Amino acid sequence: MATRAGPSGIASGLLSPELLGFLVVWALGTVGYVLFPDDLAFLTRIVSIAFLVLSLDLVTGYCGVATLGHAALFGIAAYAAGNAARAGWADPLVLLAIGALVGAVSGLATGALIARFRGLPQLVLTIAVGQLVAALCNKLGWLTGGSDGLSDYTVGPLFGRIAFDMYGRVAFLMSVAILAVVFALLLRIVRSPFGLLTRAIKDDTVKARMIGASIYPRLVAMYGLSGAVAGIGGALGAITAGVVGLDGVSFERSASALVMLVLGGAGNLWGALAGTLVFHVFEHLVSTANPFHWMSLVGAMLILVVVFAPRGLSFGAIVLWSKLRARSP
Amino acid sequence: MRKFAVSLTAFAACLFAGTAMAADPIRVGIVGTMSGPYALFGQNFKRGIDAWVAQNGNKVGDIPVEFIYRDEEAPNPAKSRALAQELIVKEKVQYLAGFYFTPNALAVAPLLGESKTPLIVMNAATSAIVEKSPYIVRTSFTMWQNTKPAALVAKERGAKKVAIAVSDYGPGLDAEAAFKGTFEAAGGTVVEAIRMPLATTDFSPIMQRIKDSGADTVFTFLPSGPPTLGFVKAFIDNGLKASGVKLMSTGDVVTEPDLPNIGDAGIGILSTYHYAVSHDSPENKAFIDQFVKDGGKFDEIAMTSVAAYDGARLIYKMIEATKGQRDPDAAIAAVKSMSWVSPRGPVSIDPETRHIRQNVYLRELVKVDGKLLNKEIQTFEAQPDWALSKK
Repeated sequence: MATRAGPSGIASGLLSPELLGFLVVWALGTVGYVLFPDDLAFLTRIVSIAFLVLSLDLVTGYCGVATLGHAALFGIAAYAAGNAARAGWADPLVLLAIGALVGAVSGLATGALIARFRGLPQLVLTIAVGQLVAALCNKLGWLTGGSDGLSDYTVGPLFGRIAFDMYGRVAFLMSVAILAVVFALLLRIVRSPFGLLTRAIKDDTVKARMIGASIYPRLVAMYGLSGAVAGIGGALGAITAGVVGLDGVSFERSASALVMLVLGGAGNLWGALAGTLVFHVFEHLVSTANPFHWMSLVGAMLILVVVFAPRGLSFGAIVLWSKLRARSP
Repeated sequence: MRKFAVSLTAFAACLFAGTAMAADPIRVGIVGTMSGPYALFGQNFKRGIDAWVAQNGNKVGDIPVEFIYRDEEAPNPAKSRALAQELIVKEKVQYLAGFYFTPNALAVAPLLGESKTPLIVMNAATSAIVEKSPYIVRTSFTMWQNTKPAALVAKERGAKKVAIAVSDYGPGLDAEAAFKGTFEAAGGTVVEAIRMPLATTDFSPIMQRIKDSGADTVFTFLPSGPPTLGFVKAFIDNGLKASGVKLMSTGDVVTEPDLPNIGDAGIGILSTYHYAVSHDSPENKAFIDQFVKDGGKFDEIAMTSVAAYDGARLIYKMIEATKGQRDPDAAIAAVKSMSWVSPRGPVSIDPETRHIRQNVYLRELVKVDGKLLNKEIQTFEAQPDWALSKK
């Protein structure tokens, strides 16, 4: 159950989970591209946030680190990519690499501090780190544009040839391609001995230590990986939106990512993906239908999910699936 | 012969366009803060536009106009950009307008050229926005525009040592630079410049610093909302008002919806701003009557409604000039150097900067018939955005 959660468990006889993940992301992307050609900017934004939620799942869902400051990694990488573009590094793939690298370094640095603690002190520490980064980004106006945001940069065409168009086609296809690859890689990593060990650490730190696991380095390593994933999301946001704002490092961004993760189901990469998608699509639909009172509807949906599927939509779906299977053998 | 063919084609095109126009309304996308803590200002966009439509009809000639609203919610440039893209690509809007927050407006600027969409900024107040695209016009204000007169008034009224306290973000820094530059150029001294984090709720330490600085006047800017109230209360509770220190601000600190909360303690505060709800003119009276008639509350009229009302006027003018065709250059040309009498007073669009030139008023907070209001006591005529224009 732990390793074969979600659709991967269902189809495990046919495909490896990694290949399945890769194909499902592409299938979803194709559906979005074909059915909603006018909404690609919105869909691209979902992909960018999906990286942040996946990244959060790695530390919260798999390692049990409670964090409310995760957007810091996302935002720092976005600013790094924006500044790199401003300095003349216009190639989008280079910018993504820079984002991943800066995210990983920030993840290792903050992880080294945060992984020393457990429970409430840890939570408070993550908030403090997040707030510190947000305050710095506001203060360092020459680097970040302050509250006006960083927007005086241009991103060159993909592969030096394919320019980003206003309809967001190139940006969307590029984002989906990267998400598919990263998602498949992450599915592999969380099934690896390293991934399983982090799970053991989460479930019972004492027992994990008794079987000889060194806990601290594992957590820091996972934080680094998580930072790289968040960094890709941040850089992707900087590339496709053409602007980096303080919202990228804000407490609200961290908190909403956690809400999406809980909605989809923490401790399951499929859940992270589903939570991001469901949250954004629902928010988009109700805020378009009623731009004045949509927030209360989003709140109502969250309450319903927490009451009826407390472990998130993905676990709820698995439970429902196994019940249905049990009924019709 | 060839000429004839061309004119025939043009004629046919006109006919075709004519039938198409009658069927399809021109759509205008409005992005504003419709929910959350800043909802009052976004909803004022809608009220202002509704008032304009109620007075001028929902058609320009025989072209129907339709406004579509989206919620920008908070400073979130990526979201605003996606919303604008959706409005352009999916809803096929010909004009974009609104935008409460500067980063959100900046994020949309790069889309305007490729999509040939003019943007009317109805609030976002950082000077540089209008420089980001030739298709941007602004009907609100900038910090420089409203702050420079405040510094002149302070000097005129005998202030020698001023302490500046502003919120630590873009507009606050603009206000600080504008006040400091103007006041020092006029021969005054700035003894203290404090930048307060946006989330500050306890202003006592700041009041202590002001006291210690020996300033005779305090100039402040905070975005309208709960913090302004806290600042004014701390100013009074810490004895600065009693010891004779004067408080000056831009009108953002004493917007009309906030006045009941500030209460009588605020009486005497001087502020400079481009619009007071109490502005005495037939245009303003007609505007407010319409606002209230459409179901708006008198106490909830904010400056964004007037910016939107004037913005709608520009959009109607643009549609008229382009006969409903997508032609941003002609649309912008039609409103450059346009002048009219707005509810806030006489205004014009500066042809160089595409920012609005308007009177800035010095107002004093007074109580008339049991109601607090900003009474206009001095007028600085036809002020440009001082960051972009020198005269």
